[in-house]
Amino acid sequence: MAGWQPGKWRKRSTKRGFARASMTNAGAGVLILLLAACGGSPSYEQPAAAPAMSPAAQVGERIFSDTSLSGSRGQACSICHDPANAHAPGNALAAQLGGPNRNLQGVRQAPGIRYLRFNTAFFFDSEGTPTGGFFWDGRASSLQVQAAEPFLNPFEMAMPSKAAVVQRLSQATYTTEFRSVFGSNIFADVDLAYDRMTFALAQYQKEDAEFAEFSSKYDAFLRGQATLAAQELRGLALFNDPNKGNCAACHPSAKGADGSLPLFTDFTYDNLGVPRNPDLQANADPTYFDLGLCARPDGSLSTRTDLCGAFKVPSLRNVGLRHTFFHNGQFKTLKDALTFYVQRDTNPEKFYPTVGGVVQKFNDLPPQYHPNVNRTEAPYNRNPGDVPALTDAEIDDLVVFLNTLSDGFVP
Amino acid sequence: MHHRSGLSTLGQMFVATALALPLVVHADEAELARRLEKLSNELEAVKAELAKMKNERAQGAVPGAPQQATKPAEAPYTNTEAAPGGSDTVLTSYGEINYNRPRKAAENTVADLRRAVIGLQHRFDPQTKFAFELESEHAVTSSSDPGEVAVEQAFVEHRLAPSFAVRGGLFLIPAGLLNESHEPTAYYGVERNFVETAIIPTTWREGGFQVVGELGSGLTLQGGVTTGFNLNKWDATSTEGRESPLGSIHQELALASARDLSVFAAANYRGVPGLLAGSSVFTGGATQGSQGVAKSRVTLWDLHARWTPGAWDFAALYARGTISNTAAFNTTLVGNPTLVPAAFDGSYVQAAYRLRFGSYGAAPFARLEYFNTGRKYDDIGAGLTPAPQPTERVITTGLNFDINQHVVVKADMQWFREVSANNRFNLGLGWSF
Repeated sequence: MAGWQPGKWRKRSTKRGFARASMTNAGAGVLILLLAACGGSPSYEQPAAAPAMSPAAQVGERIFSDTSLSGSRGQACSICHDPANAHAPGNALAAQLGGPNRNLQGVRQAPGIRYLRFNTAFFFDSEGTPTGGFFWDGRASSLQVQAAEPFLNPFEMAMPSKAAVVQRLSQATYTTEFRSVFGSNIFADVDLAYDRMTFALAQYQKEDAEFAEFSSKYDAFLRGQATLAAQELRGLALFNDPNKGNCAACHPSAKGADGSLPLFTDFTYDNLGVPRNPDLQANADPTYFDLGLCARPDGSLSTRTDLCGAFKVPSLRNVGLRHTFFHNGQFKTLKDALTFYVQRDTNPEKFYPTVGGVVQKFNDLPPQYHPNVNRTEAPYNRNPGDVPALTDAEIDDLVVFLNTLSDGFVP
Repeated sequence: MHHRSGLSTLGQMFVATALALPLVVHADEAELARRLEKLSNELEAVKAELAKMKNERAQGAVPGAPQQATKPAEAPYTNTEAAPGGSDTVLTSYGEINYNRPRKAAENTVADLRRAVIGLQHRFDPQTKFAFELESEHAVTSSSDPGEVAVEQAFVEHRLAPSFAVRGGLFLIPAGLLNESHEPTAYYGVERNFVETAIIPTTWREGGFQVVGELGSGLTLQGGVTTGFNLNKWDATSTEGRESPLGSIHQELALASARDLSVFAAANYRGVPGLLAGSSVFTGGATQGSQGVAKSRVTLWDLHARWTPGAWDFAALYARGTISNTAAFNTTLVGNPTLVPAAFDGSYVQAAYRLRFGSYGAAPFARLEYFNTGRKYDDIGAGLTPAPQPTERVITTGLNFDINQHVVVKADMQWFREVSANNRFNLGLGWSF
């Protein structure tokens, strides 16, 4: 297998691709523009009128917002993945709070979970590019596998066991429907009932049109039903330009040859060298580092130290609705996030602490993994003192364009 | 602009070549090929008639009696036995192995089995034949190799009259000088010229129907209805569309979007020995009914001439393509490296001198080309509309050495004005039979 090196397999996206998606736990934020490690380019075929959801998906919808399935009885999928905020957190916390008393902070920001139905299981493509997978480190192979974790995560829904979850489930207000779909004796088998619960959650995310509306102004623009204002159009040009934002390298923006609409992620991974976020309680321990892809709990990629520091490239759809950005929630506004992209290498002192007169660049990674950070393509291909790839006004243009990616546009 | 004046000069040379036709003595290869094909058809018809008569005589059938009386199961035009001494099916092949060495970047030197093609023609009856070509490019094709396998032609031709035929299937579009005659023995230089690859996307084929008429005056007319291009395939993130706008959106009858059909017409005049002068036009919708995409039309036309007075062999060609209504389409792609051009064109003049050494032949040649794959872009606003591409000029000079009429060894040099880093030395071995 080809070694994963920053820039080695980096490639401009092509128009064709595929996609799927994930729900998530207390994970991380949202990367943004981007470059690096990007592989193919996913796009999605525009759906016809949404059909009625299957009975399993309807049960899944109930589970999604059922707070009784958490240790605190106050947390549900919908709390962190708020439907009112494009299924992403509606607050600016660095990471969401969970646990038995809803006062334990997670270690990564919860991503938006729309359009994740088009994601795939994790794999290395023919060029060695890590691709697909659910969660920020791609450790879950499907929406259903992903859905099984948050219930038992002590920092999230914090239930002690599958049996405890199933016991609560058997007492839920929709238990009759659950039995009707999965069998009257379904609760007699804990593992089977738990599996069916996650199946229902996955089906809900696959079938509910809300999770893939394609209803943004940009979608209307691609359909020829709306025009972009001059500043939005300038932002799009900067987004696509390989020498400026170069965002489309990992966040494809063009329709597919079959008319499919872009997903604004290629589901690959990148190492951006995001600054350490002191708001994360875990970071109080100076020896703690979140290494992402190479540090999966199962150790499956522990030997791939070249992947340390890489996190999944999220979709930029609805990025304008987010309150925090990147996996560790370090930045609170789109403008700050974009400024980091273009000035990380020209003005690192703006983003990293200076100790003894030395800027501690990439301070959220141990020094041995600093070479893993993407430094080869625009807008990163700069040195201190160079002119950033985007001016302040151009960043403003880009922000305006990114706000056209929010679902719910009304012409 | 010096680019335009270059083309203008070329245009004048082209017109001069086209007008200087009448004095030709020797029939050129295209003319010979056409006559051979006609003779072959006639011979096949005679053979089939002879076989039929022998068969009827052996069975005691009455000459002139209805065929179904003796062979009720046979279709009206089916040969019942192979032509005496020959076969109804003929295998063919052509291919080329090329070596390209950039003068200033030897590390980019490449040797490549550019293509190897196996073809067959099968004659069902004197009036009906099937033609097929299967091409393999770059030697090895797999998920991890660069090769590509493609059906280049697969069509049935039925001759309704000695000078009138219809074709249906996947066939080559009659455009320019090379597209229908693209075997390495048919052109000068290791590589096909740029105009007939970047502007006319040789080898360009479509699926559909066409009629072919050969008028007694030496005029061949072709026209038809086919599949066309698919603008939705345009990849603004790659440079493919800049290398060949139409080559990047052709469909090659591979699950081709066929909502929009195209039409074409071509006229080629061979009435004067040694002369070929012709023109073609192809036009059709290219958005294939895609929702939200402004309708767009691709049109490509060309003028071409070849004149072979004595040992000389002159050729000239001008081709121009347009893609209409690209502004709205390009607006969705602003900022990307390769937007859709509104116009692209190119032209070349070429001269060769054919020498004979017994059974060997040698032909030194020179070619001057101008081409521009992004001559014009529709306006989509200040700062967003791409600047027109510079016109590239390429000079190629070298030698074709014919081992015989089927095998050629080639060597040439190429100089590029705009991107001189592309200057290169080329060697090639080609065959065709």
